[in-house]
Amino acid sequence: MFQTLLMASIIMLTISISIALYRVIRGPSLPDRILALDSIGYNIIGIVAVLCMMLDSSSYLETILLIGILAFLSTVALCKFLERGVVIDRKRND
Amino acid sequence: MTGRETIESIVVVMVLIGTVLSLLSSLGFLRFPDVYTRSHAATKSITLGILFILLATFLYFLFVHDQVSVRLLLGIIFVFLTAPVTGHLIARSAYRYGVKPSGAQDELAADLEKAKKRASALDK
Amino acid sequence: MTLQILLNLLIAAMWMMLHDTWNMLTFAIGFVLGAIILFGMRRFFPAPFYGRKFWFLLKLGWLFSIELLVSSIVAIEQIIRPRLNIQPGVFRMQTRMKTEWELSLLANLMTLTPGSVVMEIAPEDGLMYVHAMDVPRMKKGIIRTKDKFEDVIIEVMR
Repeated sequence: MFQTLLMASIIMLTISISIALYRVIRGPSLPDRILALDSIGYNIIGIVAVLCMMLDSSSYLETILLIGILAFLSTVALCKFLERGVVIDRKRND
Repeated sequence: MTGRETIESIVVVMVLIGTVLSLLSSLGFLRFPDVYTRSHAATKSITLGILFILLATFLYFLFVHDQVSVRLLLGIIFVFLTAPVTGHLIARSAYRYGVKPSGAQDELAADLEKAKKRASALDK
Repeated sequence: MTLQILLNLLIAAMWMMLHDTWNMLTFAIGFVLGAIILFGMRRFFPAPFYGRKFWFLLKLGWLFSIELLVSSIVAIEQIIRPRLNIQPGVFRMQTRMKTEWELSLLANLMTLTPGSVVMEIAPEDGLMYVHAMDVPRMKKGIIRTKDKFEDVIIEVMR
């Protein structure tokens, strides 16, 4: 029962990832796509956490931290790119 | 063995709540008209959903395996800290990029123009 | 305050070494013991005991989780309503926060509260620009929440 319900929650998270993927492909503007990519990252974190419980081992828990950090950093870099047109500022006066 | 079943049922209920929250906020992606309203759905309900799932995982490893997993706690704190930051960043950069909010009321546009003029005057 | 926290951590580590058991539970017991010792010796320190600030920090966390729950319910309710009936918009509001830490803390908290995403901050004018999901219905609630947060943040930070 436990395993079945966890499987159902993984399937639901996958559905929500595919909805966000639709927004990534269709999205009318660039910020829409970034927002959808960010939420895909969060959903993957959820999937990994549920997978840890399903497989009954705590060895995948590092992945949560890794994906969280990667999603955050990539969102920050993309937003920076949108705002200024570059990722790394060379001018440090503002 | 009944103690373990109690823990498992609590964990499953929390996981399902979190999953439904994140599924509904993905539906919000389809329904809302522009980036700013979508970012409401993304920052609030997805954060709460993921927090529910991570807390359930923490409780599972705490009670079934007697193991306080500090990595999971770090992950919870990290998600909690970064989710609002990304929401704010996306809204801000979308505005600077030129996406217009769909509503009638917009008190930011005039003030931003003024600030830009002031900054360019300072440059010269 | 930093000195007191460091001393408290030192007492906790000392307690763990004396017991020769290295787990979280012993550390937590040591930390509580250290807090009691520091509270007993509080008149030897120049700064007031840090428990008061800690108490307000706990209060901030509690307030914040309640607001996060409410805001998710509001957002979900708007998503599953069969016909969208919202008037989004951007409005400005005053803030009493001064330093960078206070401003970023308030902006983070406001982004996760009902129906508001902070879009832009003008620290020199003390203004925040907030995007609200439904301006006519939510503006009062957002400003009330902001005042509540500001009171607690001032207690913690100053």
